[in-house]
Amino acid sequence: MGNDTLIEIKNLKMYFPITSGLFLQRKIAEVKAVDDVSFSIREGETLGLVGESGCGKTTVGKCILQLHRATSGEVLFEGLDLCKLSNKELRPLRQKLQVIFQDPQDSLDPRFTAADIIGEPLKIQGLTRGREYRERVSEVLNIVGLSPYMADRYPHEFSGGQRQRLGIARALALRPRLIICDEPISALDVSIQAQIINLLDDLQQEFSLAYLFISHDLSMVRHISDRVAVMYLGKLVEVSDRDELYKKPLHPYTQALLSAVPIPDPAVEEKRSVIVLKGEVPSPINPPSGCVFHPRCPKRFDLCSAFIPPLIDLGGGHQVACLLYSPK
Amino acid sequence: MAEDVVQTEAVRPHHTLWGDAFIRLRRNRLALVGGVLVLLVALAAIFVPIFSPYGFAQQNLDAIREGPSWSHLFGTDELGRDVFTRLFAGARTSLMVGIFVQVIVIVIGLPIGAIAAYAGGRTDNLIMRFVDVMYAFPDILLIILIRAILGGSIYMIFLAIGLVAWVNVARLVRGQILSLKERDFATAARAMGAPGRYIVWRHLLPNSLGPIIVLITFGIPRAIFAEAALSYIGIGIKPPTPSWGTMIRDGYDLIFSAPHLVLFPAIALGILMLAFTFLGDGLRDALDPRLRR
Amino acid sequence: MSTLLQVSNLSTHFYTQDGVVKAVQDVSYEVAKGETIALVGESGCGKTVSALSIVRLIPEPPGKIVSGQVIFDGKDLLKLSQDEIREVRGAKISMIFQEPMTSLNPVLTIGRQLTEALELHQRMNKKEAVKEAIRLLKLVGIPQGEGRIKDYPHHFSGGMRQRVMMAMAISCQPQLIIADEPTTAVDVTIQAQLLQMIREITDRLGTAIIIITHNLGIVARYASRVYVMYAGRIVEHGPAMAIYHNPKHPYTVGLLASVPRLDEARKTRLEPIKGQPPDLIAPPVGCAFCPRCSQADPQCQVNGHQLVEIEPGHYTACWVACKETQHGK
Repeated sequence: MGNDTLIEIKNLKMYFPITSGLFLQRKIAEVKAVDDVSFSIREGETLGLVGESGCGKTTVGKCILQLHRATSGEVLFEGLDLCKLSNKELRPLRQKLQVIFQDPQDSLDPRFTAADIIGEPLKIQGLTRGREYRERVSEVLNIVGLSPYMADRYPHEFSGGQRQRLGIARALALRPRLIICDEPISALDVSIQAQIINLLDDLQQEFSLAYLFISHDLSMVRHISDRVAVMYLGKLVEVSDRDELYKKPLHPYTQALLSAVPIPDPAVEEKRSVIVLKGEVPSPINPPSGCVFHPRCPKRFDLCSAFIPPLIDLGGGHQVACLLYSPK
Repeated sequence: MAEDVVQTEAVRPHHTLWGDAFIRLRRNRLALVGGVLVLLVALAAIFVPIFSPYGFAQQNLDAIREGPSWSHLFGTDELGRDVFTRLFAGARTSLMVGIFVQVIVIVIGLPIGAIAAYAGGRTDNLIMRFVDVMYAFPDILLIILIRAILGGSIYMIFLAIGLVAWVNVARLVRGQILSLKERDFATAARAMGAPGRYIVWRHLLPNSLGPIIVLITFGIPRAIFAEAALSYIGIGIKPPTPSWGTMIRDGYDLIFSAPHLVLFPAIALGILMLAFTFLGDGLRDALDPRLRR
Repeated sequence: MSTLLQVSNLSTHFYTQDGVVKAVQDVSYEVAKGETIALVGESGCGKTVSALSIVRLIPEPPGKIVSGQVIFDGKDLLKLSQDEIREVRGAKISMIFQEPMTSLNPVLTIGRQLTEALELHQRMNKKEAVKEAIRLLKLVGIPQGEGRIKDYPHHFSGGMRQRVMMAMAISCQPQLIIADEPTTAVDVTIQAQLLQMIREITDRLGTAIIIITHNLGIVARYASRVYVMYAGRIVEHGPAMAIYHNPKHPYTVGLLASVPRLDEARKTRLEPIKGQPPDLIAPPVGCAFCPRCSQADPQCQVNGHQLVEIEPGHYTACWVACKETQHGK
């Protein structure tokens, strides 16, 4: 790890066993949710992680946080491999590594007041007490744009956007360095989404936060990310700087994904041709042989079903996992 | 950053989740009737034996098997004891059974259910198989068995019933915790570094209270009935302490000559159980967040 | 263009323990034969409630359709008896919902659910219904229907279930389909597949369709006319081109501005609409968008919500915008 790399994920694999049996659970199959994923995030950077449901992006986030214990691989943070630490050893590190969830309703305990919710991480980490605690809670409420009057209210008394601000406040309370944002705006209304994205942007500037922004909303990802990684069925298929990816997507899946996003302009839409992929996403229990995308790929050829394409760096930080670009 | 947040003054009245449940409960007439009945019986159970001119064990062999009259509102039994006083002293017994048993049930069942659910894996498997085995036995037989081992004092009877009834609560608590364990707010607590015990105690159990309270409320009449059944077959409360079960049994022999001896305790039992059932139904509806209109 | 459905001054309220929620207020729209229109708005704006009101699927209590007319095929649907409206539902007007898992019965096979509707409305016998079911499945892109009709909903993926819903929706050759957020629960690439399928089928069968969504992109791709709803009212409507290229209501303007577009240069900062949507228990007297509006004028609180035509076919309820247009003339 050199320069300003904050966190590095190496060859992460998360296979969930499927067991059967009465008393002794035997493993009969595996769900390869994350299959050999590697990337890194620099200080203050936002890496967008995109893909559709089942691609493993949320699982990657959970593995980084050690909420799932990875089957193999390393998560290097501050010189330590998080995967090898016990829960107790992880606790102080959790201060620096926080998370924002997708569903603002579900991620807040309905029986906790706003102040309780924001203050909970402070209490668990044993950081502050008494007056300092109350001041910190008020401060964080203000930072996310909520009025301190609302500190004694319950989640059901807030709107969706406000609840998400509470979630962000909770993540911020410990002054982390990296926040895993797991679909933080998908459950919000369109006009509120923009508010929250701006908030995240501002917070990043002010507190030098790094984000892993997990989402399926390609337009929003383009707005907030510095670099973008695309996943399909547990594998990384393309990683690149943001502008590069959206201007010149190389992997056929990325191309299809971008073309499928409708543009809010009828004049533009009339003229566009959309790449419509055939078929469904296959099951991660039984992924296709060779390149996992080949059954649906409009550009496939014979070798694609035989070889797993490695993630190759084509220069300028643009990596693709596709045989079209591999040297022969 | 605060520029795009407009102060929304709460248009709807501010109340907590408990407050909201209470409002809904108040609206349910049957539940109110049940609640009031329970309260009345409880008050009567406390005060009637204190203020009654007769003791519940006081015999009057000159006035045996008398029907209801002004001096003996519910009549007398075969030993001349005032049925009215005995009925409410019996109510005391029944309510004590109901409450004590639920206490035992919670003390045993709640932690076991919570541990099974949160630990998962083999621990969960082991505990639940044990629970399944207990379920396989008929309640009453098991109670009788335990009672035979523990002896006859009234507290041993509570213990016997409690030792059988906890499985219901354990199963329910386990189910609740299992379903709540995967919710995002529990995951958020884990991501903060909270240990398992804390998450169960502060997050999962408080959110499971609704169904647990309902189960306890329904458990009370079940315990009352269990005690009555035990007393009816003769291994329950020892005389002269009145119990509705004993009263029914004793009165059964005289059912044609002095029907009031069976009728009053039987009706009382029925009413009390019905009252708790209405209350339990009402609580279940009031505490279900999905039924919020 | 002949009008198929005409909704006039529809109002639907919900009587809750906290007060009366005025979910839909004085809403009017129309659909011509074979046309695709869109009802756009965010959660709570009343778009779904208004559509459910058309086919009388509002639970009463706590809901109640308090006023309005819904003329379909010459009859006012709001005045029909329960039996009569049941004949319309599913046969002449059918619906596709957002969550196919909850709208499909998990204990019946797909085949049974399809044939049920066919036997009921088309009065087919068992054998004919099965043949038709297989044909419908093929139409929506599920080949090998003979095998699949014996499967249960949980055997299908989300996208496939939506296709089954579509098959059920067109099984009785309806004149109108109401699609309520049909692709919100599926991925972008599946969404593209589904929308293409819906388009092909409605073109082929000449069915009119009302798409209810918050996704401005889908609307741009498929709808010819757009109705924008906010806080239970229609605030702007017109042809899609006019709405997207010349929006007049500040809400429409704000909505379009707050969504980043893949075909445009990246902005450094998004322009959200400040504030929150109002609580419909106490909707404001004047324009409901006022607290969040950048063009608010004190008069806005006084004036009603009249929709005024500012260019042919394009109506807006913004008093300020109308005033400006008049001055411009």
